[in-house]
Amino acid sequence: MPLYELGVILDASLDDEQRTAFLGELKELLAKEGATIVKEDVWGKRILAYLIKHKREGFYVFWQYEAPGSVVKPLEYRLRLSDQVLRYLNLNLDREMQRARKMAKVRAEQKAAKRAAKERAAAAAAAAAPAPISGEEA
Amino acid sequence: MSKKKYFVKRKKTCKFTAEGIEYIDYKDIDLIRQYVPVSGKILPRRVSGTNPIYQRKLTRAIKRARLMALLPFLGD
Repeated sequence: MPLYELGVILDASLDDEQRTAFLGELKELLAKEGATIVKEDVWGKRILAYLIKHKREGFYVFWQYEAPGSVVKPLEYRLRLSDQVLRYLNLNLDREMQRARKMAKVRAEQKAAKRAAKERAAAAAAAAAPAPISGEEA
Repeated sequence: MSKKKYFVKRKKTCKFTAEGIEYIDYKDIDLIRQYVPVSGKILPRRVSGTNPIYQRKLTRAIKRARLMALLPFLGD
């Protein structure tokens, strides 16, 4: 199951009760689809960089969760319908990391190949060099 | 005769290569801000010295941060 990261900006004018109710609803939906929340990161109220729906402030919540791909559609559908959500961003973190890891691996291999080539060249040079020196000595 | 201008050349380095940052998180605003001047534009590679691979990742992170209203689309 891939690891997802969901970022939600909720309307900051909601009171705590409404907010926990909505987040609880989301959690229920996630649980129903077989997701487990790995990390919860609540930033709280923050001033938005620009107005969204004529609002200056938003309440930021970030979740990391592991879930089968089938969770994405109903979750995003629910988020889109809600008036309380100003913005959301759902990312497949595994896919993001996969690229980074792959690139890191490729780079490491290139480096290793370069080093091996250098060593081989050095070894060849060392093998070639002693002969004339010994010749001179003799 | 025009005045000759002298520049101090600074060595530009890619922070991401140097520090081995694999994934640029859009939530890491303090990091990303370094690459977004007050104008709100993304600093070009020729200015920041970032490697092409990381510049693309950085660009994506900045655009995501903009979507989430962490960074402005338009600066001052």
